[in-house]
Amino acid sequence: MFDRNDAAAPLASSTSIRVEHGTDPLASGLRRAQQLATGWRDRARSDRAGDEMPWLLHVPDIGPTCEVLLADRLFHDLGAHEREAMVSFVRGSQDDTGAWLNVQGEADLSLTTLGWWTLRDAGDDPNSDAMLRASRVVHRLGGAQRANFSVRLWLAMGGQIPWSWLPAIPSELFLLPPHVWLSPARFSPWARGILTPYLLIARAPAHLQLPDARPLLLPHNDGKPVAPRLTRPGLAGDLLQAFDRTVKLSRKLPRGPLPRLADNRALAWIDEHQQGHGGWFSVRPTLLSLVALRVMGAASGDPRLRSGLDHLRRSRGRARIPHGRNAGETALVQGLGGPSLDVLGGLMGSGAHESEVAWMLRQELTVRGPWQARADAATGGWPHEPGATHHLDVDSTCSILSALSALPEDSSQVTASWATARRALDVLFAMQEPDGRFSRFERGESEVMMRRLPWTDADLLAYGRSDDAGHLRLTARVLGAVAAAGFGDDDDRVARAQRWMEQTLSSGLHEHVSAGPLSTVAVIAKALGSSFAPNHPLRAEVEQRLRTRQREDGSFGAMHDTAYALQGLVALGHTDVQPRRAAHWLANAVNRRAPGTADAVSPPVTRGLGLSPAGFDPSAGPREAALALHAYSAAGGQ
Amino acid sequence: MSKTPADLRHSRYDVVIVGAGLAGCATARALARADRFQRRRILLVDRHNDVHPRFSGELIHPRGAQILDDLGLFSALSEAGGVEVGGFAVYENADARFVDLSYADVPDERPRGLSIHHKALVRTLRKDVREDHSELLEGWSVADLCRDGNRVDGVVLEGPGRVRHEIRADLVIAADGKSSTVRKLAGISDQGRTTIGFTAGVELVDASLPRSSYAHVFLGAWGPVLAYPILNEADGTTRTRVTFDLPHYLPAKGEALKQHLLRTYIPFVPAPLSAQLAAAVNAHQGPLHMAPTVNLPAPSAAMPGLVLVGDAGGCSHPITASGMTMGLRDAQTLGLQAERRADAPGDERWFDAESLRRYRSEHDRYVPTRQALADAIYEAFRGGEDGSRAIRRALFEYWGSGASARSRSMALLSCAERRPHVFLTEYLKTARHALETSLVPQHASMYPVGDRVRRARGAARLARTKLGLVAQVMWAQVRPGWLTRIETR
Repeated sequence: MFDRNDAAAPLASSTSIRVEHGTDPLASGLRRAQQLATGWRDRARSDRAGDEMPWLLHVPDIGPTCEVLLADRLFHDLGAHEREAMVSFVRGSQDDTGAWLNVQGEADLSLTTLGWWTLRDAGDDPNSDAMLRASRVVHRLGGAQRANFSVRLWLAMGGQIPWSWLPAIPSELFLLPPHVWLSPARFSPWARGILTPYLLIARAPAHLQLPDARPLLLPHNDGKPVAPRLTRPGLAGDLLQAFDRTVKLSRKLPRGPLPRLADNRALAWIDEHQQGHGGWFSVRPTLLSLVALRVMGAASGDPRLRSGLDHLRRSRGRARIPHGRNAGETALVQGLGGPSLDVLGGLMGSGAHESEVAWMLRQELTVRGPWQARADAATGGWPHEPGATHHLDVDSTCSILSALSALPEDSSQVTASWATARRALDVLFAMQEPDGRFSRFERGESEVMMRRLPWTDADLLAYGRSDDAGHLRLTARVLGAVAAAGFGDDDDRVARAQRWMEQTLSSGLHEHVSAGPLSTVAVIAKALGSSFAPNHPLRAEVEQRLRTRQREDGSFGAMHDTAYALQGLVALGHTDVQPRRAAHWLANAVNRRAPGTADAVSPPVTRGLGLSPAGFDPSAGPREAALALHAYSAAGGQ
Repeated sequence: MSKTPADLRHSRYDVVIVGAGLAGCATARALARADRFQRRRILLVDRHNDVHPRFSGELIHPRGAQILDDLGLFSALSEAGGVEVGGFAVYENADARFVDLSYADVPDERPRGLSIHHKALVRTLRKDVREDHSELLEGWSVADLCRDGNRVDGVVLEGPGRVRHEIRADLVIAADGKSSTVRKLAGISDQGRTTIGFTAGVELVDASLPRSSYAHVFLGAWGPVLAYPILNEADGTTRTRVTFDLPHYLPAKGEALKQHLLRTYIPFVPAPLSAQLAAAVNAHQGPLHMAPTVNLPAPSAAMPGLVLVGDAGGCSHPITASGMTMGLRDAQTLGLQAERRADAPGDERWFDAESLRRYRSEHDRYVPTRQALADAIYEAFRGGEDGSRAIRRALFEYWGSGASARSRSMALLSCAERRPHVFLTEYLKTARHALETSLVPQHASMYPVGDRVRRARGAARLARTKLGLVAQVMWAQVRPGWLTRIETR
């Protein structure tokens, strides 16, 4: 990943603290945290020599791994040891109850269905205790027919359920001009990446040789499986269900050239949106696009298929199984994409090599992408994974901007980083919605018109909701980034964002600050500290609520939580007794950590995509500890 | 050794000019030249023995350079290291191609302006003025005005040890800058005066300017960054001034200000100039040179016995670099009035009421135009709101539309054009481009209609707020001279 030849001594940040080799626990804690963060940057490298696989910086649920394993029946791309290592992850992630859990620790119908089916495909005995418990969980949660859209699509491709159990998309929608509200161009990028190949897959239709999953379907008394309801209950839902049937019936009628034109449009879209790294917008759109290309006649040696499969391989990595019966063991996991640039930006925030910075600068978006259609901005900013060429990620962009701002003045990359930073700033501003908040991937990503229809899967069409914690966090991050570039509330864009944040926070202080994840609280505090007036009432309110979350031992919970809280307090301008106790607790916790170890504790984060909206962030502890101790020391904390 | 009032040749003067900067010295030279028979007594007073320590204007448009030439000052300034400037290179952002606003494209004007280090400028001018029959008194400031009824009749000077000395004069000319003491003592209202912000400046040696003999404007940061050559040194090197436009609430002071500039302004300057600038800021010892940027809508520029010239008679943001040119035009106008009265009997005042009325009438024509332009350009270049960003985009679109558009704009910006219909036409064209670029943005094909409308409305709102200003400028141009009255206080 990074250029290894010139990876000389790490650069010290321009504001970095000189770490003395003494007994100062804070200094040694900071040094240890930086070493651990550097270790994580090394682990994430995909060009590691020998058989060593890189480690994932973001560990999703078992969904992507299962789907890659199932799709391999079509692509035959996985080696035996890869397949076994991935199956180990699925097997080891099963909870003792038989269920596969989501990152919040709740039994998940879709994951359990996929897990059972994947293990069945891998040859596990369906009558084994673990498999029986899993199937019972699936039945208890309503049967596989009630699983999410993606699982039902795989079941349909595997011939386990009829295609009519999936919602119908009138192919004519793909012929609409992109500015029309009903056009698929108005869906969020992930939904577009799923539904476009879905149109082709469903029209073919695709058929994969997969093992029998019908035992997972909840049957009627007559033994026939219960058909799922595609719409929500109520009159509107009933009408929509009727419309869905009409569309499916109309497919049997002659419709002239429209379906063929729609197919061509969808196929062209798939061609155009294959990115520089070979994939589409994350793993699921990539898998389905590959399937769609295959069913549309692409041969197994087709370069589009080969590069897509290569991208999937590069997105795989090692990870500790976060929960389940083999929790803590190392396994091979399918990531949502390449190493997260957002996380890498954080890992570089407390010091990075010249070569790493140069590599990061090369990841800047340089070609026009679909996100620009709805944002009047030039090209720039960063995507969410290396090598991606089509999709901006505001989260990654903020993270990298923060890392670049810590470059020392004598770095050879300073001038180049300025150029990328000013382009990124332009792009950030362009991603602002009229109400003041910022979108992550595309303008309008959370306001998809078709989501208002009562489909059961309607939420998949959009990226979050306009007032959710994700967008609050994102807006706070952007405010922090633009404040660091010198833009204050005398700029109407900053003022609009501040107003939106005030409104959202004033009605959700408990949800977002008192009970919300400390990662979000830290970002909010940073925005308040850098962008809002020193006497703004929200600052005092957030500070007060943050302080009340400190425990008797000085921590705020786990290492990463304490680090986030410390960053928040320092950003609000405090280095008094509470931050001091947190800093010392944190330094001691880091000092106890042996160098070179991967964290066993990894917090769940909402950094995922689509049907894997959250995942685990194994580098969070040392990464955030390094940033927190660095900020605390720079602020004069003792 | 400096002169003291005791060394002065006279106790009463025809003219006392307060402030020996560009406007003061040029006025002194213009008056000295107008006094063909050398019958008139001219005294130039400045509070500083040398140059004012605060850095000040250094760029003069061709119109001003021509006045300097007419006054016989240009060649001395050139020899002192002044750089002939070919125009402005304006960057919408550091990655874009610059817009070339060349002086040479403005018809019937000199093809080059002049840029010179302020200290070299003032020292050279004072040296030249000393050679006239004017007298120069340095190190003395004005403590009060002498009055004869409603008429200003001289100044009370205060020198070292707070010694005071009264000097009578038929006319006091206030050339003491935007914070003019004389203006305050005369009770001339500076209503509407606002401090826009501050300008911080640094000097570079042999800077890598994209166009070596141009002034450069870089946009994208909080405020514009200006860079222009100011001095050709004897050793062959060239010194360049770079200024940063800062908000009125200074975000940082002292050493922290340097870090602020490094973090928030210098990244918006293209390489390699940005790297040189960063090195210069880092190497700078002590606090950076700072000056407030002030908007002072033209106050009444004349009253019995007193006229205001240069920034004392109205100033605006330095973005259009027109302040010094305006000061020179004031000097030229006063010189013309002096020439008109050159044959007046010696016992009559050199400047009668008609002279002052004519001066004020002329001053009131060009100063509001300059202020309106500077105000509009600054607002657009700052881009602090949707409307001003739309206007900024429109300006660049307009300038990109052809050489004639750039030439017309440059004529206005360099104070060479004063025909009201041209001002109105340019205003309307920019407004039209603002609407077009808002409704059909450059990068977005599916840009939400709501955003387009919001931007267009912002531009329309901004254009509407400028309507009054446009009307004011138009009226200033067509206003009959006889309407001007000299107020008394």
